[in-house]
Amino acid sequence: MSDDYSDDDYYYDEDEDMMDAEDDDGSAPSDDDMDMEVFDNDFKIPGKAVKKSYEVDAEPLSQAQVERLMQADVDHISGIFGVEASVASLLLRHMNWNKERLIEKYMDNATAVNVDAGVALAEDEAPKAATNSRVASSPKFSSTGPTRSTRSFKSSKVKSPSPKREELFVCPICFDDTQTQTMSLSCTHKFCASCWNAYVTGKIREEGEHSIRCMAEGCALVAPDPFIHEALGNDTATWTRFQGLLVRHFVSCNRNLKFCPYPNCTYTVSCPAAATKSALLSIVPTVVCGASPDHKFCFGCAVESDHRPVICAVAGMWLQKCHDDSETANWIKSNTKECSKCQSTIEKNGGCNHMTCKKCKHEFCWVCMGPWTEHGTAWYSCNRYDEKASQDARDAQSKSRASLERYLHYYNRWANHEQSAKLSMDLYKKTEQKMEEMQITSELTWIEVQFMKKAVDEVFKCRMTLKWTYAMAYYLERGNPKELFEDNQRDLEKAVEDLSELLEQSIEPAEIASLRQKVTDKTVYVQKRNEIMLEDTANGFLEGRWEWNSTVDGLD
Amino acid sequence: MSGICRTRLAEERKLWRKDHPFGFYAKPTKAVDGSMNLMEWEVGIPGKTGTAWEGGVYKLMMIFPEDYPSKPPKCKFTPPLFHPNVYPSGTVCLSILDEEKGWKPAITIKQIVLGIQDLLDDPNVNDPAQSDAYTMFKNDKLAYERRVRVQARENIPK
Repeated sequence: MSDDYSDDDYYYDEDEDMMDAEDDDGSAPSDDDMDMEVFDNDFKIPGKAVKKSYEVDAEPLSQAQVERLMQADVDHISGIFGVEASVASLLLRHMNWNKERLIEKYMDNATAVNVDAGVALAEDEAPKAATNSRVASSPKFSSTGPTRSTRSFKSSKVKSPSPKREELFVCPICFDDTQTQTMSLSCTHKFCASCWNAYVTGKIREEGEHSIRCMAEGCALVAPDPFIHEALGNDTATWTRFQGLLVRHFVSCNRNLKFCPYPNCTYTVSCPAAATKSALLSIVPTVVCGASPDHKFCFGCAVESDHRPVICAVAGMWLQKCHDDSETANWIKSNTKECSKCQSTIEKNGGCNHMTCKKCKHEFCWVCMGPWTEHGTAWYSCNRYDEKASQDARDAQSKSRASLERYLHYYNRWANHEQSAKLSMDLYKKTEQKMEEMQITSELTWIEVQFMKKAVDEVFKCRMTLKWTYAMAYYLERGNPKELFEDNQRDLEKAVEDLSELLEQSIEPAEIASLRQKVTDKTVYVQKRNEIMLEDTANGFLEGRWEWNSTVDGLD
Repeated sequence: MSGICRTRLAEERKLWRKDHPFGFYAKPTKAVDGSMNLMEWEVGIPGKTGTAWEGGVYKLMMIFPEDYPSKPPKCKFTPPLFHPNVYPSGTVCLSILDEEKGWKPAITIKQIVLGIQDLLDDPNVNDPAQSDAYTMFKNDKLAYERRVRVQARENIPK
């Protein structure tokens, strides 16, 4: 993320330099440097070295890097237990890569863990053929390597103890007696190599399964990686897929890691700072995976890729509320009243003012909302305006209307920014046209008109921030912090709207230079306001400054 | 394994004819022209003696997919059976018949039908498939047993 902002910083530095250079009609590097410094001091947060408080430390990892992490865990376990790497890997996968728990359980009862993980057979199921009673109980048991036998009719070199049975082998799955190659796990359930291949391929390709058990009925032994590799033969595509599945499983088990949610992206992001639920209450971990700067996502939730400055829990609450209420709320507000007794929402679609609530049978007057008993026989008119009961009923009513009103205030602004952000796609197109126009009508070069695009980028970014500030403001408890928050919000909003307006203006050739100056200045200002907004809100979360008017999940 | 589906089924049929559990039957259906359709079998499963299911032989269709034995066959009681783990369509809900749970290519037809027979008197309450039988089984065991006995009587082979 730091890339995100400092790229822009860098860009504007250049842009400003160009302005200056233009004025000077010559550009000495020393000048530029000086300008940059001055500029930095005024507006900029110094480069990447200092982390801004709304950023989190996150490290993108490629699949190969994650594989190395896995390998390290496997080597660790294999070293401690003295088992083969493939066995250690099965044990770890069985325990969802929780090393501590595995070690604890394994030390407690190695046999039980081995059986549960499908590394070894339970003693009563052990085949009589092998000397497994000894092997299975030993923690160093590692006979999970593939057993492969090649049958050859003519070869007399290999003398099997029971050649007759060997000759008669018929795979119990395909009943094809021409198969010459068989494979089995340590359970000695023998099947032909092509059945194994089809089975393993199907499990990996169709079911996305990374734990593949022996094909025999009820046999719980899991095939270790070398066995799978051998069963797949030279089908490298499926083997790669299998490796990918293992990585996915590892990542999903590790709280510090998240898979990039963008389609076909194989990157993982490591963000230990946002690994716990409590951490998510004070930071908004918007991260970018290593594959592309567009692959931006929230490490903490799936609500939206970037919902800064508001934390995941509040963003989720807000979206849920919008989902529940939005349009319906508008309609309800203008067309219904609530029963003053049971608060059911009632639409009056005809008839007189004498209402009987369908739900609680409460009889009341639609006009004054007071109980009907006070009305006597005046069916069509209400002259009881000042009765206490009806007063109370109206109070309660207006309260609930006010809360709806309040919600709609925030919702409309939230939705408005979302809408505008969506429309900025059009703005991009229009801006592009304008940029071309400018290159024709003025003497500006391509690089010099980029300030327009940069401004649109910034507007889009700030609208996203603004959008979420409304969600946040809705839940903020009234008080000083909220007022400051709303001041920041107002400043940012004003700046963004001003810049938007500038961008929408038609271009007069004579004014391009001044427009360019204005837009560039405004962009820098908007950017700065956005930084302040994000920074201050993030600091508020870290300090615990924000107080909420409803319960936020996880907060007291 | 796509190519081995029919070979395997033919072999299963051979094995079944050589030896099968008492009271059961399992045979491939016949197409209109009288040829044998190995992909669909008609199966009869007797209720165990000493249970409420005793006496009945419950008819079931076993439909094999093209990728059998990678994938399990679909087992469907015709007509649908009153049983907590049988869907209203008649399809049996059993772990060994679920490719993502207990299905293994090595499971034979004999093992499947024996598994279903076991299920009859020993329903799995964690996996209800129809509400009628499930609620009755949970709330009123006596009424359930009565209903099962009636069903057994309706299914006595002629």
